[in-house]
Amino acid sequence: MTFETAFSSRGIVGAVAASALLLASATAAAQAGKDLYAKTCAVCHAAGVAGAPRLGNAADWQPRIAGGTARLYASALQGTPKGMPAKGGNTAASDAEVRAAVDFMLASVKGAAPAAAKPAAAAPAAASAATPAAPKSAATVAAPAVTAPAPAAPAMAPQLAAVDTSANTTGGSAADINSFNRLLKPAGKRNPPPAEDGIHDPSNDGTHALMAPLAAYATLPKSNAGNRVDWVKSLNEGKINPRWDRANPNDVPVVIDLNIVREVKGSMPDVVYPHKQHTEWLDCSNCHPAIFNPQKGSNVISMAAILLGEKCGVCHGKVAFPVSECRLCHSKKKDFRPAQAATTAK
Amino acid sequence: MMPWRAGILLLLAWLAVLPLPAAAEYADVVLNRRAEAQGVRPVVFQHWFHRIRFRCKVCHAELGFKMRVGANDITMADIIDGRFCGACHNGDIAWAPDKCDMCHSGKRGLPTGIVGGHETGGPGRW
Repeated sequence: MTFETAFSSRGIVGAVAASALLLASATAAAQAGKDLYAKTCAVCHAAGVAGAPRLGNAADWQPRIAGGTARLYASALQGTPKGMPAKGGNTAASDAEVRAAVDFMLASVKGAAPAAAKPAAAAPAAASAATPAAPKSAATVAAPAVTAPAPAAPAMAPQLAAVDTSANTTGGSAADINSFNRLLKPAGKRNPPPAEDGIHDPSNDGTHALMAPLAAYATLPKSNAGNRVDWVKSLNEGKINPRWDRANPNDVPVVIDLNIVREVKGSMPDVVYPHKQHTEWLDCSNCHPAIFNPQKGSNVISMAAILLGEKCGVCHGKVAFPVSECRLCHSKKKDFRPAQAATTAK
Repeated sequence: MMPWRAGILLLLAWLAVLPLPAAAEYADVVLNRRAEAQGVRPVVFQHWFHRIRFRCKVCHAELGFKMRVGANDITMADIIDGRFCGACHNGDIAWAPDKCDMCHSGKRGLPTGIVGGHETGGPGRW
């Protein structure tokens, strides 16, 4: 109510005082609104994602316009429970730009004249009226989001420093003994929930809606590395049943049971590569021919290449079990007896 | 004097290269090619959550995700049009892309990359 009266009185004064100036600022604001719409709002408001009112669709906008322009501004700035994020998720946009974008969308359904004239005058009034209202209702949500983007790019170092200190403080004293070694993760630091994992933003509401890994791993067979879950065993024992086809839950993979033995130098056991476990998860085209030439003996593989992320290292060490699990691949023991017999004969 | 300084510089460079958020879950991926430049938090993709529900092949063969971090240039327009994440995140198989903060949940300033104590790295030329 107070907003409406402030709006109209200022509008009259403003119009009388400097109508020419207002016209100029109105066109500038309209351009800013159009720009922000194209960059941010259009993601949802072009196609009507999640029931967002579409640009130029009067039926979508009519009930919302009935609620008053001030409420539309407030919804755009602070977000709504229906799915509109505060400032459309683009927290770097200024309040004035967001209002201008609302005006742009309103103009698309209203006919430009009344919508463009009012908001131009309303902008200063809205700024003064909306800011005291905002801290009460949405300060907790909006304030951190608004302050955060300002140091976006230059603040990389402090952000990473913050990550570092949090990792040190949450570890506990026993954990710090081997904390220099990233391969020896102490038990307390394994499988943390998203809010404590150092990459999710704990001030983000969605972070807390995400599942914690340990909640999913409780019934799965354990392993000593990676996620500390034996994924192959989980699949074989039927503990998990991941889909083979995106949409069809009953589709089954074409499993190839073919072992390839690779003899390796030195005393290290030979590598047995099982197609079976791989084809249960992957399509032939994932590995052949880009990573591995599908012809026995034609692939030069070394641990150095794997550690550089090539060959087996495309997945192993990143998402499949890591290279610290030597014996899962190097699993065929060499028979040294013939060699020994040969040397004793000489 | 000079080798000393060079040594300290090397050590500092090595410390700077070490992946800092080592507490993250194995195979978590931070995607920040576009997100932060456009004013939203980086995306965190969690392999573990998805591999319980889908085999690798679904995303890496059917949906066209290349198996190299940073090689997939995905926009929200792609997702809304049903490509990449949008092939499932369409309100039908998984929730629709209107829940921005479920994916865009990363800490600001994180670079694109795979995290969570990975042991292989490098350019991965294949």
